[in-house]
Amino acid sequence: MAEPASGPAVPTGLSTGLSTGPAFPGRPSSWRERYWALFRTAWLVDLQYRPAIAIWLVLGLAQPLVMLSVWWSVAGEGEVAGYARGDFARYFFALMLVDQLTLAWDIWFVDRWIREGELNYRLVRPINPIHEAIADNLAYKAGSASLLVVVWAVTAAFWPAVRLPVDPLRWAGALVAVVLAGGIRFLVSYVHGLLAFWITRATGLFELHYGVSLFLAGRIAPLSILPPFAAAAASFLWFRSMLAFPVEVRTGAGATLDGACGGVGGQIFWFAAWLGAYRLAWSRGVTRYEGVGG
Amino acid sequence: MRGRVGEAKAPGTARAGSGGGTLRRYAAVLRAFWAANLEEELQYRANFFASLASTAFWLVAALLTAGIFFRQTSTLGGWGFWEVATLLGVFNTVAGVVEAFLRPNIGRLVQLVRQGSLDFVLTKPVDPQFHVSFRRLVVWHVTDVVFGLGLTAYALHRLDRVPSLESVAAFALALGAGVAIVYALWLALMTLAFWFVAVENLAVLFDALFESARFPVSAYPGPLRFILVYILPMAWITTIPPSILTGRMGTEAALAAMAVATVLLGLTRLLWRVALRRYTSAGG
Repeated sequence: MAEPASGPAVPTGLSTGLSTGPAFPGRPSSWRERYWALFRTAWLVDLQYRPAIAIWLVLGLAQPLVMLSVWWSVAGEGEVAGYARGDFARYFFALMLVDQLTLAWDIWFVDRWIREGELNYRLVRPINPIHEAIADNLAYKAGSASLLVVVWAVTAAFWPAVRLPVDPLRWAGALVAVVLAGGIRFLVSYVHGLLAFWITRATGLFELHYGVSLFLAGRIAPLSILPPFAAAAASFLWFRSMLAFPVEVRTGAGATLDGACGGVGGQIFWFAAWLGAYRLAWSRGVTRYEGVGG
Repeated sequence: MRGRVGEAKAPGTARAGSGGGTLRRYAAVLRAFWAANLEEELQYRANFFASLASTAFWLVAALLTAGIFFRQTSTLGGWGFWEVATLLGVFNTVAGVVEAFLRPNIGRLVQLVRQGSLDFVLTKPVDPQFHVSFRRLVVWHVTDVVFGLGLTAYALHRLDRVPSLESVAAFALALGAGVAIVYALWLALMTLAFWFVAVENLAVLFDALFESARFPVSAYPGPLRFILVYILPMAWITTIPPSILTGRMGTEAALAAMAVATVLLGLTRLLWRVALRRYTSAGG
């Protein structure tokens, strides 16, 4: 367990954790300070792992590129369910961008924290471990977003098919939808990780969730191309909210203002629902945690 | 350090290279490796059922994915639904081999190089490439192989096609060649670890590439098709073997696949030797 670096001014070991170190002796740090420290750490760690992150990015782009290539061939010179080649290109490029911006890998970390006892020292910190995960996500996405925007801008310069309409309202709507989708995907991933309090195959369960999301989140095809019952299930559950909806807002594939407002409403509902699930899983789980391996 | 590692390896390679007993000796070593692995894995029998469930789930997902395309079109690159299903069976089989053999063995090369534990491999009296490639076996992924071949067989039945003994033999050879090509790609990729020690997840690059093997190569636009046949040889892995079974290609395609596999195995062996010479152990 990490000892405080120095803390003569503070009486007990545990309460030294309330300060961020010698710079703020004895004073509980503000949220801004805490988040800045967490964000900075995560950013520096990411910088260290730049090549590895680039490789994960390649994997993230491979699946949508394969789908785009095959749809491109299927569409040929004509249309598939209202989608011509260019529409598919726009859809899948937007999907790649939104997917990277809303990516959440927290399940793998949280599962390991719990199974291998790495949660122990996180529990004695004066801050809920979820904030560390949130800061990690913000740092990672700040990095990958800036890279992706450059990649996209270069691609769009040469390939008009992936250019997106310039429309401030649409961009603003897409921003809201992406932020909410990122929140939902983060919570889904984190809650699946917390299941490791009860079961040993939380990651296996998340794999199944990913398998279902291939269809229902719009990774294989735009939802309007799926069989109607699948598209309905995607909207009824959280899958459309976590990826397909922000992509639709961005590409403008048949989205009206009313439809967009309804979609955002659905996102807010599912964000709240998964937040509730998180609170329940965390409070129940942490009381039965036994700190193996610590 | 460089010199010492080289010397330590020398007696092993010398003995391995000497004459007729070599093959039998390596077969015995392989048996010993797998017996040890089997004993270890059998302690975790629940893994068998988890593996079974996951195999079934992903097979169904693959068929449904194909189904989504076939709702909009009657052929994918000229292939009908059940033809694509024969390919998906082969894909699943090769994926099973990857998970059973390649990922747990050669996939760990980066860690071995980074931590310097490759030293222990180099001091053993067997060829280091052999040791690094075959030490482990995750036996549960046999379910992927069995279900994959089962799907291919069922799809052939749905196509009302009974392949001749000759084309089944050619299929087996082509599939073997495909597996050898996958092995060569993994070895080439993981050998990069000797140059880029900091990159932990090199294996992910294979996963990204392998995504493209889920469809017949003819389903891709022209330039990509060229790349997947001649540059990143994915077509040889999952398109050629089922094509032989469905009669789309003659049995001589198996010979071409074996030629490609032989060349790639030779080239990667060369690459491995060059890379090993760079290895200075973590401490050095």
